Amino acid sequence: MEVKAANMDRINLIPAAEQGVSEEEDMKVKKYLRGKATDLGALQDKKLKGQLAVREELYGKSAQAAAKAEKWLMPSEGGYLEVEGIEKTWRIRQEAIAGEVDVLSSRKQFDIVLPELGPYTLDLSLSGRYMVAAGRKGHLALLDMKNMDLIKEFQVRETVRDVVFLHNQKLFAAAQKKYVYMYSDNGTELHCLKEHGAAARLQFLNKHFLLTSINKLGQLHFQDITTGEMVGNFRTGLGRSDAMEVNPFNNVTAVGHSGGTVSMWKPTSAAPLVKMLCHQGPVTALAFHSNGHLMATAGMERKIKLWDLRKFEVLQTSPGHAKTMNFSQKGLLATATGSYVQILGDFSGSQEYSRYMGHSMAKGYQIQKVVFRPYEDVLAIGHSMGWSSILIPGSGEPNFDTWVANPFETRKQRNEKEVRSLLDKLPPETIMLDPTKIGSVKPTRKKEQPTKQEREAGKEAAVEGAKSISFKKKTKGRSKSSKVAKKKQEAVANAKKPFLEQQAKDAETSKKKRKRNEVENQLPKSLQRFARKVPTT
Amino acid sequence: MMADKKRKSKDGMAQSGKKDREFRNNKRKNLSYNKKNKKEDASEKRRRHGPRLPNALRKELDVFNRTVEGEPSDVDERIDSDDAVGNDVYEYEEGIAEEESKKNRRFDTVENYQYELPEDFQDSDVASDEGEDEDNIGYDNENGNEGRHTRMLEEITGLPSDVFGGRKKKDIIITEAYPESEYNPSSDILDGDGRISIQDLLDPLHGKSGFSKLRKNLQRMNKKSVPTLAPLPKPEQERLERKAAYEHSKKDITKWEPLVKRNREAPTLYFDEDVDLGFSTIGAIASEFEPRTDFEKKIASLVNQNEVVEAHKKDGARLLELNKISVEEVMDRQQRLAKMRSLLFRHEMKAKRVKKIKSKTYHRLLKKERRKTAEAALQMDPEAAKEHAMKQEFKRAEERMTLKHKNSSRWAKRILQRGLQVQDEATREAFGEQLSRHAALTRKINSVKESSSSDDSSDDYDSDDMLASPDGDAKSKLLMKAKEKTLKVLEGDEELPKSGVLSLPFMVRGLKKRKEAADEEAKLALEEYESSLKQLEDPSASGSCERGASSGMRVFGVPKRVVNETSKKVKSDNYYANSDSEDDVEAQEDIVIENNQNDKSLREADIDPSLLREEFEISHDSLFKSFQDAEDPETKTTYDVAFLASDSWKKMRGSSDASKQTEASNHVRKSEITVGPMKHDQSFEENDDDCDTDSGGEMVDGILSSGPKSTYELPSQAELILRAFAGDDVQEDFDKDKEAVLDEENPEPEKPVLLPGWGQWTDIQKKKGLPSWMLEEHEMAKKKRNESLKKRKDAHLSNVIISEKLDRKAEKLHTKTLPYPYTSKEVFEQSIRMPIGPEFNPATAIGALNRPEVVKKAGVIIKPIQYEDMNVRERAETHKHNGQRQRKAKDKNQSMRKKAAKV
Repeated sequence: MEVKAANMDRINLIPAAEQGVSEEEDMKVKKYLRGKATDLGALQDKKLKGQLAVREELYGKSAQAAAKAEKWLMPSEGGYLEVEGIEKTWRIRQEAIAGEVDVLSSRKQFDIVLPELGPYTLDLSLSGRYMVAAGRKGHLALLDMKNMDLIKEFQVRETVRDVVFLHNQKLFAAAQKKYVYMYSDNGTELHCLKEHGAAARLQFLNKHFLLTSINKLGQLHFQDITTGEMVGNFRTGLGRSDAMEVNPFNNVTAVGHSGGTVSMWKPTSAAPLVKMLCHQGPVTALAFHSNGHLMATAGMERKIKLWDLRKFEVLQTSPGHAKTMNFSQKGLLATATGSYVQILGDFSGSQEYSRYMGHSMAKGYQIQKVVFRPYEDVLAIGHSMGWSSILIPGSGEPNFDTWVANPFETRKQRNEKEVRSLLDKLPPETIMLDPTKIGSVKPTRKKEQPTKQEREAGKEAAVEGAKSISFKKKTKGRSKSSKVAKKKQEAVANAKKPFLEQQAKDAETSKKKRKRNEVENQLPKSLQRFARKVPTT
Repeated sequence: MMADKKRKSKDGMAQSGKKDREFRNNKRKNLSYNKKNKKEDASEKRRRHGPRLPNALRKELDVFNRTVEGEPSDVDERIDSDDAVGNDVYEYEEGIAEEESKKNRRFDTVENYQYELPEDFQDSDVASDEGEDEDNIGYDNENGNEGRHTRMLEEITGLPSDVFGGRKKKDIIITEAYPESEYNPSSDILDGDGRISIQDLLDPLHGKSGFSKLRKNLQRMNKKSVPTLAPLPKPEQERLERKAAYEHSKKDITKWEPLVKRNREAPTLYFDEDVDLGFSTIGAIASEFEPRTDFEKKIASLVNQNEVVEAHKKDGARLLELNKISVEEVMDRQQRLAKMRSLLFRHEMKAKRVKKIKSKTYHRLLKKERRKTAEAALQMDPEAAKEHAMKQEFKRAEERMTLKHKNSSRWAKRILQRGLQVQDEATREAFGEQLSRHAALTRKINSVKESSSSDDSSDDYDSDDMLASPDGDAKSKLLMKAKEKTLKVLEGDEELPKSGVLSLPFMVRGLKKRKEAADEEAKLALEEYESSLKQLEDPSASGSCERGASSGMRVFGVPKRVVNETSKKVKSDNYYANSDSEDDVEAQEDIVIENNQNDKSLREADIDPSLLREEFEISHDSLFKSFQDAEDPETKTTYDVAFLASDSWKKMRGSSDASKQTEASNHVRKSEITVGPMKHDQSFEENDDDCDTDSGGEMVDGILSSGPKSTYELPSQAELILRAFAGDDVQEDFDKDKEAVLDEENPEPEKPVLLPGWGQWTDIQKKKGLPSWMLEEHEMAKKKRNESLKKRKDAHLSNVIISEKLDRKAEKLHTKTLPYPYTSKEVFEQSIRMPIGPEFNPATAIGALNRPEVVKKAGVIIKPIQYEDMNVRERAETHKHNGQRQRKAKDKNQSMRKKAAKV
C-alpha cells in the first residue's frame, strides 16, 4: 500500500515520454481553450473572418502559455492511495494511513471530544485554513487549522442550527434559535438578522455577498451583506427543509424538501428555476460537485442519487442513507450517516461513483456534518461528541491559487482581497442556470405581448392615419360635407376596430382565468384572502 | 477640282456632330446652313437659293465680295463666329479635311503637319483632292513662307535646313505670266506631270551624308501612310483622357494595396514607434545643465578651467599633477580622521556597555547622579537656579489657577461619573498619579533643598519595597527594622578612634558615657518594639494561616472547578434524562469531598493525587481490558486517531455520568493536568468506555443513540406504511404541480359546447352532434398546445419542471441584437467564450488580448501614410502564412476529431 498526502511539494523532474507529454499538454491546452474555436470556413464576411482568425490565434497562444505555466505554477501532485494485490482501498484504516504519511499530515488526524454541547456543525473558510464549529447547544468556536489554534470560542446559550463563514474568516453567521446572527472573529455580535427568522440552514454566496437562509417555515431569504438589502424573500411553499446547498458553478441555491423535491432558486425570481422530484421520501442531504454538473441527493427512502444537472437525469442510484454529504475539490463524495462515513470516488472517469474509503467513528457518535478541507487531503467531521478530522488521500486540490484562496494569507493580503472582492461583487441577477450565457444575445420571448402603452400608441397612430385621408371630389352630391364627415367617421371607426376587438378578447380571457381560479379555491368569502397564491413557474 | 473657300460656323459644326465621322473618311463636307443668317437677310437668302454659277464666275464674285467688305478670306473659326460679317452667306461648301481647318485648336501644334495658310493668303490653286500629302508638299508658296516649309522638311527628314534651302532657291525659277493664284494654277500642275514628289526632292540629296537615314524615314512614312484621323469630339476625348488617367492612377495606386491591406488586417496599428518624448538618460539630462546659482557657477568655472579641460582632453595623467597636495596636509587629515574615529568607537562601546547593564541599582545611581549634577549646576549657577525656581513657581501658580490636575479634565470627570471602582487598574493608577501631581504642585514648598532631601528619603523607601506590601506588613516590617537597627547599635562595638582629637583620653571618656546612655535608651526602645511586635504578630499569624489555606486552595484550584463542572454535569445529566437521583447523590458527595479537601492541609493535598493516580491506573487497566474485550475491532480505530490539542480547549470529560467512578475517578481527573498526554489518552478512552458501557447513555433527543443501532435501524411498520403513502403522494403532487405550471403558460382549450337551439335545429343537432368546425377548432387548439409543450426543455423529463420564465432583471446582461459584423448567433457566442481578463490568462497573453486597435501616445502627431516597398517575397510569405494557418487549423480540428473518436 502506498499513501501520499497532498501538498508534499514534489516536482516531478523526470521527463515523461515525449508522446505522453505532448498529449497531456494538448489536453491542458484544450482545457484552457474553453471550448471549440469558431468555424471560420462558414463565415462570409472576410473582414470578420480575419478579425476572428487573429483572435483565435491569440486565444490559442494564451491557452498554450497557460498550459506551459501550469507545469511550474502547479508543481504539487495530488495525494493518492495505492493498493497492492488483493488489498482494497476501503479496508485501509486511518491508523494505517497515519503510519505511512509524513508527520505533518499525520497531525491532521485528530478527534476533539466535546461531549456536552451537542452535535457540532462545521464550516471551513474558502482557503481551508479556518474552521468555525457550532455546537447545537450554543457553543461557537473559531479555529485556525494550520496552527491548531483556537482563535475564539464563546457560548451563545441558545440553539445553534448552522454556522457559515462570510467572505473571510473575520465574519461568520450563525443560525440561532430565533434569528440569524453575525459575529466577528473575536466573538462580537455584529448584527441580528431578524428577517431571516429561525433559519435551519445558512449558505453564503461569496461572489455576490449574499447570505442565504431557509427557515422553519420554508422561506428562502437572500440578503446582501454589504448593503443589508434583502434581495430575495421567497416562499418555497414546499414545507420545512433541512438541506440547502449552493451550486458552486452557477451559484444557484438548491433546497431539498420533505416532499422529495429539490428546487433551485435564484435571488431575482419568485419561482424556482428548476423543480425536480428526486426522491420518494424527504430529501435529507444535498451536495454539488465543483464543476456544477453533478449533484448528489440523499433521501429518506434509503437512496443516494447522483444527477447530471445538464440533462437533469439520474446518473447513478445507490442504496444508503446520508445525513450529510459533501464533494471534495477533486470530486470525491463523502456521505455520512450515524457514525459511519463513506467516501465514494469516481475512478473510471465516467462519473460512476464507487466506494473508495470508509471510516467509522466510535459507536454512538452521531455525525452531523462532513466537510472536505479545501487544499488538504482532510475530511472534517462534526458529530455529537465534538469534531474529528481524518485523512482522505486524493481529496484536496494540491495547488492553491493565491488569487482565489490563500491559506497563508497575511493580514494585508486579506484586507486587499476584501476590497478587491467588494469591487468585483457581482449583482444578484447574474445568477442563472447557465452563467456562460451572460453577454450572449437575449433569448427571444415566446409571445411578445405588446404593453398597454404600445397598444395605445398603435391605436392613436391608426386613428390619425384614418383622419388624414382625403376623399376624392365626386359629383352628384356624393361629396356633400355631411357625407364626407360620415365617411371620415367610418374610416376612424374601422381603424379602431381591431384594437377594440383585441381588448375585448383580453378582457374575456382574464375574466375566464379569474373565474377558473375562483372555482379552484372555493373558499368562503371570509377566508378567501388567505387563499394561497402559488408562484407561477 | 475645286478650290473652294469654306465658311464654317460653329453652329454648323455642332449641328453635324455625327457627320464629322463621315468627313474623316471622305473628306467632304455636306452643306450646312446657318439658320441665324438665314433669318437675317432675305436678299442673301435669295442669293443662296440662286442658280448654280460656274466656278470662274463664282471666284470672281467672291473676290468682289471680299473687296467690298474688306474682309480677308480667312478660314479661321474665330471669324466664323462673327455674325455681322457679310461672309456668313449660305454657301455650298466643299468638304475639307478638318485637320486643315484646325478648328478650336484642339490639336497639338506639333503634330500638325499640315500646311497652314498665311493670313494674307489669296486663294491659290489647290493641288488636288487626291491626298493631303501632295497638298502639303506640293504647295509652293509664292509668299515665300519658306521658313515654315523648311521647318516641315526638317521635321520630316531630320536634316539641317540649309540642305533644303539651296534647292528651294533653285526651284523657284519658274515664273508665270499671270500671278499665281488658285485661279491660275501653274501649267505643270495642271498637266499633272510636273508635280514635285518627295522623290524629286530627295534626288539631289543623293550621296550626301545622312541620306540613307532620310530615305529610310521616308520609306517608313510611306509604308505607314495611314491617314491622320480627325480629332474626336470633346466629350469622347475627355472620356478617353479620363480613362487613360484612370488607368494610370490605378496603376499608381495599386502599389499601395499591400500596404493598406497590411494595415487593415493588422489587429493593432502603432503610431508612436519612433517618437522620442524628451530625455531619457542621465547623461542627456546632465548635458543640458546650466549653472545658475553662485555656487554652481563657481564649480562650473573650476570644472571648465582651461587647464582642467585640456587635461581631460589629452590624458588623465595631467589631472593628477593638478591635484597635488602636500604630504603634511595628508598626514594631518589622516590623523584627524583617526582621532575622530577612535572617539566615536569608544563612545559607541561605552554606550553599548551602559545599555547592556541591567542592574536596577546601577540605573538608579545613574539617575541620581544625573540629577545631582543638574542640581549642582543649579547651585553653581545662581542665574540658572533662579530661572528654575521661577519656572517652578510659575507652574505652581498655574496649577493653583487652573486646577488642571484636580479632576477637572473631561477624562477625569468621565471616570468619576462612571465610578472609580469600575475602572481597571491602570486607569485608577493614572488617576492617583494625577492627584498626587496636583498635590505636589499646590503644596507650599519651603525650599528646593528640602524637597530634594525628601526625594532621597523616598528613594530609600522605595529600595526597601515597603510601599508594595500591605499595611500590616509594613508596620511590622518597620518595627523589625527599627529593632534591627537598635540591635546593631547595641551590639556594634564602635571602634573608638585611635588618632586625632577624638583619641584624646577625655574625649574618649565623654564618648563612652554618651554611648552608655544611648544604649539604655536603645534597650528601652527595643522593649517597646518587641511588645508592639507581639501585638502585631497575632493578627499576622492568623493572616498567614489564611494565606496558607488560600494557597492550599490554589493547589486545589482544579477541584474547585470540578465542583462547578459536576454541578453542570448534574444539569446535563438531567437533561439526558438519566437516573437522576443517583447523580444527585453523587454530585453531593463530590461537593462534600471537596469541602473536606479544602480543610485538609497543604501537604496532604500534595500527596493525595499521586496515591490516587496509582489507584486509578489499576482500576483503569482493568476497565480498559474489559472494554477491549467487549468492543469490536472496527470502532477501535478511532482511538488511534484520538489526539489531543492544547489544554485550553479540551474539555476532557466523560459525557455521561461517572456512576461507577466515585471519588477516586474524580481525583484522577483533577490530577490529569499533571499527568502527561499519554495519560490523557487513556483517560479519554476510559471516558469513551463510560459512554459505551453505560447502558443508560442513550440520548433521548437523537443526539446520542445507543451504539449498535446507530447505522441503520428498521423502521416500524407504521412508519413504513406512512412512507410508502408519502411516496405515492409525492409523485402525484408533483405531477399536479407540473400540470398547473404547463397550464399556466398554455391553457388547455375549452371543450366545445353549444347551447341547444342555437345555430341549428335541435333535432338535427342532436343527431349530428357538435358541428364539425367546432370540433376542428378544438383539435387545432389542442395540437397547438401540445406542440408548444413539446418545445419545452422539460418536455421529456417527467420529474422535472424547468422554468421558462425570462428574468427581466437579467435581460440587461444580454445583448439585444447581434453586434454588427456578426451574422450568426453561434459564431458570436463562440467568439466571446474566452475571458480576456487578467485572472484568466497568463500575464504574457493579456497584453495582446486587450491591446486597443490603435496604439498612440497622447500628443503625437499622426503623419500621413508613407509608401514603403513591401517586396514581393514578403507578400508571398504573408499569403502563404495565411494559407498555412487555415490549413493548420483544419488539421487540428481533424486531429481532435480523431482523438475524440479514439476516446
